[in-house]
Amino acid sequence: MSQPELYDDLAYSYDGSLEGLLSAIFAAYERHEHPRDIAPEGQVQLRLGQQLSFIPTDRSHALRVQRGLCGRCGEGAFNALKYAFLSDEPQAGTFIYEFVRYAMDSRAHSECSSCSHKNHCSGICTRRPSAHGIMSQITHPKVEPIFRLARAVDNERHHMLQFLRFEALEGNLWYARCNPKASVVPLIMDHFSGRFNTQSFIIHDEVHQMAGVYSGKDWYLVDLGRDSQSELNLPPKTAMEDLMAKSWRRFYRKVAVESRYNPELRRQFMPVRLWKNLTEMQVDLTESF
Amino acid sequence: MDLAEKLEILADAAKYDVACTSSGISRQAKEGFLGKATVAGCCHSFSADGRCITLLKVLMTNVCIYDCAYCVNRISNPDVKRTAFTPRELADLTIGFYRRNYIEGLFLSSGVIKNPDYTTELMIDTLKLLRGEYRFRGYIHAKAIPGTSPELIETLGYLSDRMSVNLELPSQASLRRLAPDKSGLSIFNPMRQISESIADDRETHALTRKRKTTYLAKVKPAHKDRAFVPAGQSTQMIIGASPESDYHILRLSAALYKTVSLKRVFFSAYLPVTNDERLPSTDAIQLNREHRLYQADWLLRFYEFGVDEIIDQAHPFLDLEVDPKANWALNHLDFFPVEVNTAPYEALLRVPGIGVRGARLILRARRTSTLGEDELRKLGIAFKRARFFITCKHKYAGIGVEFSPESLRAQLAQPIKGGSHGRRSAKTAPGQLSLFDSLNEVTELPKPATTPLPAPSDEKLLDVGSSDEPELLFA
Repeated sequence: MSQPELYDDLAYSYDGSLEGLLSAIFAAYERHEHPRDIAPEGQVQLRLGQQLSFIPTDRSHALRVQRGLCGRCGEGAFNALKYAFLSDEPQAGTFIYEFVRYAMDSRAHSECSSCSHKNHCSGICTRRPSAHGIMSQITHPKVEPIFRLARAVDNERHHMLQFLRFEALEGNLWYARCNPKASVVPLIMDHFSGRFNTQSFIIHDEVHQMAGVYSGKDWYLVDLGRDSQSELNLPPKTAMEDLMAKSWRRFYRKVAVESRYNPELRRQFMPVRLWKNLTEMQVDLTESF
Repeated sequence: MDLAEKLEILADAAKYDVACTSSGISRQAKEGFLGKATVAGCCHSFSADGRCITLLKVLMTNVCIYDCAYCVNRISNPDVKRTAFTPRELADLTIGFYRRNYIEGLFLSSGVIKNPDYTTELMIDTLKLLRGEYRFRGYIHAKAIPGTSPELIETLGYLSDRMSVNLELPSQASLRRLAPDKSGLSIFNPMRQISESIADDRETHALTRKRKTTYLAKVKPAHKDRAFVPAGQSTQMIIGASPESDYHILRLSAALYKTVSLKRVFFSAYLPVTNDERLPSTDAIQLNREHRLYQADWLLRFYEFGVDEIIDQAHPFLDLEVDPKANWALNHLDFFPVEVNTAPYEALLRVPGIGVRGARLILRARRTSTLGEDELRKLGIAFKRARFFITCKHKYAGIGVEFSPESLRAQLAQPIKGGSHGRRSAKTAPGQLSLFDSLNEVTELPKPATTPLPAPSDEKLLDVGSSDEPELLFA
């Protein structure tokens, strides 16, 4: 195969991690190329005449992109990028690449030379006012997709904080199953590990085949799709569990005021796609109504 | 009686309390303790009526010595099964639910058993168990019972995050008529005590906080670790059980925000749960009226409106067809259209269809670009409503509709999303052509005007609205 021309139609693929995506962005700068699409390996759909190259992940390259973006646009921009990366949108990689290109071309908005933190910030700046930063250009075509995706992921994260339901399993283990629209498990682990503190738990994301495991001290992520093809082997539920779920269901039913019945409003706040993992929406035929 | 049945009875008795919020306080997680709290709160479920469930809302007991006409738990109601939680049972249940992420905390109210002090002591026992033995850092909302001694309210306040005293009814006269055992003073005294203690506590806490330079002597707060009611206090009143007008209610709530610095005033549309000759014998629930009152309340708290701008004595009831903000806009068309690219924040907030978030986004976005119609739509404001009141790049966006109160009113009264769903669906907008107009004329009986209250003439009789300052009612 001949060497690709400079402005040929290109696509990059990466291993699916954030580091991989940032490495791909780094490679675009390094090779002076402008890929039209960036997508995880296996999800690339090539356009006619498009050439694909796989970019291996390099942590140091990824860190340099992170530093560059934070230095130029502040931490807020990088956080938005992280959130957008977690969305299920197939074009997210391309959006992020174009956003980084645009952001790095924009003018740096404050001087580092006069900053009192310049010696120990290691390039990751937390002191810049975000108000004039790139994330204010909400309507710009390169920024708007990131803003939109980040907001959608944040909403989904909040849904999980609201509607995750834990069950007690034998051996003091707590288990929650969820089906979010974006892979938000890494974003909710901090919340729940702080909240439950010494209580160890597993959050299982069925859609993205991923689990967050908290041991009572610190948490880590397990990729279920890759590491093991088998089902999770979970201990049985405790005896209390059924009683608690039943009491909660009875409470849930009683607390509604009949004469205000308004199912549309409920559906609006609590999407039906989440009901299958909600304790109170399960129908138990042994219970009296 | 098993625990689940008890829970069912006591939740059933508590469900008419509208306040269900877990907001107003941020408390980080702490090692060895269970739970935390966030400022915005978190709704964990929504019941079939669409109301949020964030706290385990129960009564300590539904035994009550009082005889309030509007209440299911009144002593003279023979149909209710009476029961009570022991403090241990309730604390166990709260922790069990909290660990499963069902709830954000506990909302504890109670019927009056024996006397107010005894009831409050039971509540204190429960909260002490939760805060002490279970090391619970989640949210607790406690209801103060009118007539409790100040010392007990003090103790309760240091254990809970938010407290509330129910105002029950919007005027002294109605209170005397419908809740003969409660007086205005017995409600207002704890309210004032709580608000004063919150202010005191905040001051001492502020003084003990570490500062670089302090010129004052160090002060130790009475309770080292817990603040007094850090999330503030709220209240609620029943709408439609007594003849007060919206004008009266809104003036009263504005005065309460000012005098006892409440966080929220909740309104609860009267539901006929009991038969009593003192109550209006209506089956129509004034849900729309309640909705409009909440909208007005939001204008007071977040949109920098004054009470007098929302409602006046000549029109003592809020318009049921359009919301209060749109109503203001229709009456002040000389203020509009505003230019979105230059208008100050306060002016943007006055535009129907632009809310607090929309106005802030506009301020942010217009720093770097000029906003046209496409950009505004991207920001997610309700452009369909806003377009009649704005210009983008000096171009009026609401072309096609006459800029007059009548025609704009017809546009704004249309149900949102064309009325495809929700309570206000399947209604034709005024002025809209309909195939079935002639049919309706024949089959539908003429309906009375939308004024919700049957007896405005009672007002003089009940001495409502005779005082100019609403807070004087309780002084």
